[in-house]
Amino acid sequence: MKARIFALWLAVGIPLLWGVMKTLENAVKLFH
Amino acid sequence: MSASFLDRESTVAPAGYNRFSVPPAALAVHLSIGQAYAFSTFNLPLTKLIGISHSAPGDWKLTEVGWTFSIAIAILGLSAALFGRWVELAGPRKSMFTAAMCFGGGFIVAAIGVHFHSLSLLYLGYGVLGGIGLGIGYISPVSTLIKWFPDRPGMATGMAIMGFGGGALIAAPLSLLLMAHFRTATSTGVMETFVTMGVIYFMFMMIGVYAVRVPAADWKPAGWVAPVKPRPLVTEAHVAVDVAWKTRQFWLLWTVLCMNVTAGIGVLGQASPMIQEIFSGRVTPEAAGSFVGLLSLFNMGGRFVWATVSDYIGRRNTYIVFFGLGILLYSSVPTIGHIGSIPLFVAAFAVILSMYGGGFATIPAYLRDIFGTMHVGAIHGRLLTAWSVAGVLGPVLVNYIRQYQIDSGVPKAQAYSITMYIMCALLLIGLLCNLGMRAVSDKYHHRLGTSAPAKGAS
Repeated sequence: MKARIFALWLAVGIPLLWGVMKTLENAVKLFH
Repeated sequence: MSASFLDRESTVAPAGYNRFSVPPAALAVHLSIGQAYAFSTFNLPLTKLIGISHSAPGDWKLTEVGWTFSIAIAILGLSAALFGRWVELAGPRKSMFTAAMCFGGGFIVAAIGVHFHSLSLLYLGYGVLGGIGLGIGYISPVSTLIKWFPDRPGMATGMAIMGFGGGALIAAPLSLLLMAHFRTATSTGVMETFVTMGVIYFMFMMIGVYAVRVPAADWKPAGWVAPVKPRPLVTEAHVAVDVAWKTRQFWLLWTVLCMNVTAGIGVLGQASPMIQEIFSGRVTPEAAGSFVGLLSLFNMGGRFVWATVSDYIGRRNTYIVFFGLGILLYSSVPTIGHIGSIPLFVAAFAVILSMYGGGFATIPAYLRDIFGTMHVGAIHGRLLTAWSVAGVLGPVLVNYIRQYQIDSGVPKAQAYSITMYIMCALLLIGLLCNLGMRAVSDKYHHRLGTSAPAKGAS
């Protein structure tokens, strides 16, 4: 059960983290 | 007859099921449909389908393409209201599957529209079919999460609705990557991107279809006891959807959501030109794009943070903060613009947008507190018509007042001051409605074993 929960969170967490990272990368430009 | 995989009966969780596997199911759906907020990345390429590098005669105009998003948001509210009751009856798995079919299928129909250069097919595909997917997908996990987390309903729904805010953060760079990949000398790559995204989102939403479970009727979190002492504005009774929308409380909450969203959505739609015009010559279009991305991040984060906070300080107090702090921040924007402080300006709008997202995420728990859990998903669906109205009202207010100001000779940098004060007035209306919130009269409460409210309710 724990492995299943971990896999589910990973499946939604990876794309979300990628999106957040891309947004932060771009946001840096605002303060330069 | 045995229940099929999609039926509600097949999704009842066995004893000992870990409830923390349900939020990712909801997130998979909301992260997908949240793509809608990033549809503007297609706007310019869709105006160059014939000319490829520039708009040629016969190409669609930006105003024509812009309607696609507006139709999708309007259909979202309407379909959530129309299908809310069906979603409650069919259960989360069947409704998530339907949402995936509509949303993924909408992309495919829109791609056919791009291929044949048919604007009607684009509207029908992404706007209507995709919009139905948005509406059903948005409400499908809400009542399930509230039932799994009776101790923390705000946090649970905040987690899911955070996905709708976060969807744009994924979709914007993904759309740009795919269009760059498929672009050739004779194609903008939009059609291929639509097909790819339709398939990707359909498959991603299937994670939700596979993982979602509803708790057994008598299930409670281990060690949790429902509060014996009644809490103010939190009912343990239930109000049926057809009764709820006739109550004063429903329309107060409708106005609360509408005012909060109108103020936020107007700013979100104009954020890029606004920061460039207020800080003329100091903010490049590229940096303004970063500002919009940053606002999306706070829109997403605010959904989880504020909805969780509402579990501790109460829903009404949370909205008092949204409206009170919102009035303070909106009214300070003209001064901040006059001082010329970009960091202060960004910080003010970051907080404003966090409360915009927080308003969306806290409303399901507010509805649960006022109307109970029985039809909360369907009631939420009907309340989302406020979003449809705000989706039109907000941008129109901001755009037209700005244009009126400029036409009257006001410098562009100061053209937003009146708009900010009008936003304060909208928030004040929301604050008054929120302060007027009272518990629903007993006569509207649902009687067990019947389909009617108590005697006397109209």
